[in-house]
Amino acid sequence: MDYRKCAQEIFRHVGGRENLVSAAHCATRLRLVIADNGKLDMKALEDIDGVKGVFSNAGQLQLILGTGTVNKVYDEFLAVSGMTAATKEEVKAAAAARQPLPKRMVKALGDVFVPILPAIVASGLIMGLLEGLCKAFPALADSGTYTIFHLFSNAAFVFLPILVAVSAARVFGGNIFLGAVIGMIMIHTDLVNAWSVADYVANGTAIPSADVWFGLYDINLTGYQGHVIPVIIAVWIMCQIEKRLHKIVPEMLDLFVTPLVTVCVTGYLTLTIFGPVFSTVENWVLAGVQMLITIPFGIGAAIMGAIYPLTVVCGVHHMYNVIEAGMLSSVGLNTWMPIASAANFAQGAACLAVALRTRDRKTKALALPSAMSAALGITEPAIFGVNLRLVKPLVAGMIGGAAGSVVGAMFHIGATAYGVTGLFGFLTTTDYMIPYAIELAVSFAVAFAVSWFLHREAPQKEKGEQSAPQEQPALTCRPGVVYCPIEGAVIPLEEIPDATFAAGILGNGCGIQPAVGRVVAPFDGEITSVADSKHAIGMVSPDGMELLIHVGINTVEMEGEGFTLHCAEGDQVKAGQTLLEFDLDLIKKRGYPTTTAVLLANSEDLGTLTASTGAHAALEPILTVNACAQAN
Amino acid sequence: MKSFMYTITDPVGIHARPAGLLVKAAKAFAGTEITVTKGEKSAKATQLMKLMGLGIKGGDQITVTAQGPDEEAAAAAMEAFFKENL
Repeated sequence: MDYRKCAQEIFRHVGGRENLVSAAHCATRLRLVIADNGKLDMKALEDIDGVKGVFSNAGQLQLILGTGTVNKVYDEFLAVSGMTAATKEEVKAAAAARQPLPKRMVKALGDVFVPILPAIVASGLIMGLLEGLCKAFPALADSGTYTIFHLFSNAAFVFLPILVAVSAARVFGGNIFLGAVIGMIMIHTDLVNAWSVADYVANGTAIPSADVWFGLYDINLTGYQGHVIPVIIAVWIMCQIEKRLHKIVPEMLDLFVTPLVTVCVTGYLTLTIFGPVFSTVENWVLAGVQMLITIPFGIGAAIMGAIYPLTVVCGVHHMYNVIEAGMLSSVGLNTWMPIASAANFAQGAACLAVALRTRDRKTKALALPSAMSAALGITEPAIFGVNLRLVKPLVAGMIGGAAGSVVGAMFHIGATAYGVTGLFGFLTTTDYMIPYAIELAVSFAVAFAVSWFLHREAPQKEKGEQSAPQEQPALTCRPGVVYCPIEGAVIPLEEIPDATFAAGILGNGCGIQPAVGRVVAPFDGEITSVADSKHAIGMVSPDGMELLIHVGINTVEMEGEGFTLHCAEGDQVKAGQTLLEFDLDLIKKRGYPTTTAVLLANSEDLGTLTASTGAHAALEPILTVNACAQAN
Repeated sequence: MKSFMYTITDPVGIHARPAGLLVKAAKAFAGTEITVTKGEKSAKATQLMKLMGLGIKGGDQITVTAQGPDEEAAAAAMEAFFKENL
């Protein structure tokens, strides 16, 4: 067949060069990312001689051409269209970029928040219990025990931006320590604590300010305690700056220039741009909600109960203490608290429904303690870890919150203090025990029921993957890059739970917490060694990277059980080719960690590496030899 | 040149971890070339991948040679290393 003619016709019917974002091919298909699917002539594409099928999937247009043909048509297609070759993951990334922005943002938020949940859940539970006990036994508040446990309970919240920043830096591929610095800047003790701003307002004290941008305007020197979103945005910006600088700054100067510029630019932008924007938004929200709750017949309360979690997500809920303090001093009753309590309790209930319904063990393990924590008034784990990511439980919680708030407004429930919600709210609503119980029951029942019925489990992902034909993706390997050999979460070398690996004795690299039991070749190269116990594979790339993939820790002791090899010493392999399959559950059952080490054995000769941590699909780039990356 | 023979006692042999430790120990003698031989195959003790590629198991007999200015000390250190770890 005439490859050139085939390529030309494809090119004509996809709407020309300006409608093409990128092109790649796998073993059988030409994969194109199209700007506007409306400009495609699907019928004409199907009729082209040589094209066996056309379909559009996950933002990609895929044309089935067949083995041996596709690469030739692809080459012609590049020539005809004037495009440069794209790797498969570039096509994937371009397709992902065409996912709606909110979806990508919510995913990033979850990726950042999930790793720090243990810290938040621990603190949340200690805080809930401690505050509750204190309200029940007031004498406790003066004891030394309280003072000490109070430290434990709020440390994670006081320094939350640092935890978030570190996690975000990992997800966005920046240096986690620079990320920590950004987080520290945002809650520096020289800034007024965000939780104290309410006191400043109440006392009429002026908040210290500083002039910025050469006296263009002043900013309030307030910190970001308890904030999540501004920290993530700041760290995202930091990572963009840092990565760009790594590319353009010569290696000799890299250590001097990159961190310095990154911290200065990010820090200044954060404090001078976010600061004013966020304090303005906070003031708007405050004014808005104060107006809202004056709407009679429980309508205002219902709206507020519904949107409450959204204000938590945006991190503008810190100012509510001002409202509560104002209510207590003017009428002696805090009618805001029942709204907050209904909203929080409902999020917990929605989360609990997810916990009980999901078949995914990971989600279950996450949702259960998060729901408990929410019942005690600490909702961050439930909102960020579960509900927001799945969206539907968040909505269910909002509906429940609205319902509960209406009950609260009908009974005119008022609290005698502020700071506690959820179950411990009973201690501050002693005059309204039964109405408060009804309110919580209503929020719980509504949120739980809605969440329960809205819950839809995506069909088991693995099954879908297995039934799909095993493609051998044609990946154009770049020198000095190791592509992800196992789908899973990439962790820094130091976090591999084994001293020998973590210390880098076997070489620098990273760890992977495998999500599936399949190892694919991380680059084109030769298999140099295969352990008799099948758990470790050595490879060398044409540009001299010696890579060791070591599945699990101490799995040598399994003597090959549960491991199935698909390659042998001396084989030439292509990136993406399956090398080894292993039984994840069996490894776990035998009590070995499944953490897989991906190490460059000759990293001493290769120089510094950059690892991209966080969740990765197979064949996404995870390790880059900096010297090679710069040479390109 | 100094050399010695050794029979591996650790049943799993030279897998990733001991290989890494061996490389580390061998790198301490920069100017001296240390070679591990099993049967017809041999590898420099500083090359992790080659070393693992030898597939040395418990019961295998290997020969370790050291050649260079520090060969006495290197051979002694290697012998001590194998006795302690393998």
